[in-house]
Amino acid sequence: MRLLPQFSLLRAGIISVIFVFAGVSAGAQTTTLHPPAWTNALGSLADKIGAVTKRGQSLSLEVKNMSSLSAADVDGLQGVLVADLARRNRPITKESLADVALHVTFSESADGYVWIAEILDGVKQNVVMVSVTAPNQKASGPETPLTLHRKLIWEQESRIVDFGILADSSSDGTSILIILDAGKLSFYKSPDKDWKLAREITMEHARPLQRDIRGRIDLQAGKARLPDAECAGDFRQPESVTCKTVTALGDPEIPRQSIAVQGRNVEDYVVLAPVCDDSPLTLVTGQGDWTEPDSIQAYLGRNPESSASSKIQFLGPVLELWRNADGKSARAVSRNLKTGTYEASIVSVSCGD
Amino acid sequence: MKLRLCLYLAAISAVLVAAIPSHTAKRPRYGGTLQVEIGATVTSLDPAVAGANAEEADAKTELDALLYDRRGEHGIFVGVAGSGAFRVSSWDPGKRAVLTANEDYREGRPFVDSVEIQMGRSAHDRVLDLELNKTDFAQIPAEQARPAADHGVRVSTSQPNELLALVFLKGRSGIETARVREAIARCVDRTAIVNFILQKEGEPAGGLLPQWSSGTAFLFSTETGVRSAKEIRSQISASPKLVLGYDSADMLEQSVAERIVVNAKEAGISLTSRGILSPGNKPAHGTDIRPGEAVRVDARLVRLRMLSPLPRVSLTAFIETLGPMAGIVDSPLPESASPEDVYYCERSIMNSGLIIPIVWMPQVYGISARVRDWKQPAAGETWPLAGVWLDSADAH
Repeated sequence: MRLLPQFSLLRAGIISVIFVFAGVSAGAQTTTLHPPAWTNALGSLADKIGAVTKRGQSLSLEVKNMSSLSAADVDGLQGVLVADLARRNRPITKESLADVALHVTFSESADGYVWIAEILDGVKQNVVMVSVTAPNQKASGPETPLTLHRKLIWEQESRIVDFGILADSSSDGTSILIILDAGKLSFYKSPDKDWKLAREITMEHARPLQRDIRGRIDLQAGKARLPDAECAGDFRQPESVTCKTVTALGDPEIPRQSIAVQGRNVEDYVVLAPVCDDSPLTLVTGQGDWTEPDSIQAYLGRNPESSASSKIQFLGPVLELWRNADGKSARAVSRNLKTGTYEASIVSVSCGD
Repeated sequence: MKLRLCLYLAAISAVLVAAIPSHTAKRPRYGGTLQVEIGATVTSLDPAVAGANAEEADAKTELDALLYDRRGEHGIFVGVAGSGAFRVSSWDPGKRAVLTANEDYREGRPFVDSVEIQMGRSAHDRVLDLELNKTDFAQIPAEQARPAADHGVRVSTSQPNELLALVFLKGRSGIETARVREAIARCVDRTAIVNFILQKEGEPAGGLLPQWSSGTAFLFSTETGVRSAKEIRSQISASPKLVLGYDSADMLEQSVAERIVVNAKEAGISLTSRGILSPGNKPAHGTDIRPGEAVRVDARLVRLRMLSPLPRVSLTAFIETLGPMAGIVDSPLPESASPEDVYYCERSIMNSGLIIPIVWMPQVYGISARVRDWKQPAAGETWPLAGVWLDSADAH
């Protein structure tokens, strides 16, 4: 019998701990992590609101979303702004008790996000705002066993035909990025975090340029090919590379058989080595034409019926998709329709998250 | 029996699946002639020769963009004709042009072999030819987008990037009173103009930049306030008689001007509309304009197309155009101008009351089914005809 009160206390303690953990966990789930630029911008917005209101004045808050931000993002940002204002001694209160009405609109312009605060103090109205660059879209879709990762390597205004990276293998121990475009072969080295141009070789054409030009870099063979031009040499030593026009090469595109994916014929795909189990992976691009945003999604096997990953989104068409020599990742060349630039990315796969 | 039925169904399914065409034709194809119709009559392709009117100037810009590789400092095309994506192979001024693909074009040969352009086609004829599949590409008025789509035309609509605004002209005594201008601004029923005249293809304009570009357009009211307009009118001892001008060759401007006159009358403001004959234009059917006739107007409707999606660039261009007309003196926006700077510049112009934004309109194009990879040009861009390709060369 004596044990009973002690047991009850113990049980109460355990339950309390569970509740505390549950609370922390729930809090963690609802807290969204935002890019630092967003929280900095909200800090600036709070400063600007502070500049046109008086210390200690209470504010009523009305929030509107007119942008592509998700409701969850807006909820999170609202929480950050409320905390920022409280730190500046501008507490948020009910409309009936507030000294000043604050209307915040999360808007969007052609440049990026614009976050606007309208401060209504009687007949006086002030408008302040901050701007934030909109980030690229993230992967979306239901939970799947594989996760695709996209690493943007390079972007430029002229069309990228192919690219390759020789990691830590140049004579001075730095990585080399090789970019093949319609008119030149460029070598970049990265002595620090940034790629710096080491050499650029102009490629003369034997015939008029094609609008949908294709070509390929073969790092192992030390060759870069366009339909009517070829460069060869030791890519680890860019100064050894020479280019010449050729007439008989033809289109370097390797003809591929189309495969069926969920009932549609797909021509643009790559097959990667197994990652999580014994099944090879097929990376497949979207269905649209060159005027639309595109995506890459992974499927298990060569003629797959169900997707194995969420899509990673691209802001324009994926123009080229090649398997890397390691067999575990792919090179994607895409065009960003928003900026008009061409982007070189590495797409890799991991198990789960 | 069951097995035989299953085999029979499987055979039918296999035949059906084989017959379904692939929809993943992402790779473009070369060849074919793109048929284009335009309303303007372009009499010269020389970039140094200005278009006789706004319609010809716009069409000329589009054609020059196909023939010249680049623009100079002031947006005028420079260099050698034929350095662009196409070269002229046949030219009948004001009637027809045939452009052939430039094999040596810097950005690669266009996909189509040639572009055949018929000029002077009315909006009605252009829409009809699209319906009958007689043409591949034609720009159509925004107000005809929905009827055209209802008749099966494939329509491509841009974001609203052309502003129709009422501008009070500099030095006209009638509009010196800010109160009259304010009353007119308040009484205009923009929503009715969008719904009935533009057939819902556009949006009411409260500021000088659209929401998608600036993100701040919602801060400018587009509400109609006939009651407050009447109140303002009642405070003015003698309301001047004002004349609102519009381009007599522009049916849309005429309809909008007449609607504004009705709105003004409801608020007790004396406003009449009058067509103005722009150089090189013929008056629209049913108007009483005589060529060479000088018409004195106090305000006029103006169409302004955005030069860029970027709010700073477009606002700067608008100020350059409207400033001298309305007598607005505003310091130019620096390149580093923030969205806040752009907003306050726009707000300052709107507070002057000299410009009343009416509606934002999109650019609308009718495109035949065989045209692929058509990408709606963004504000300030020209027709990307070098990038389109024809899915089947024998469609016409």
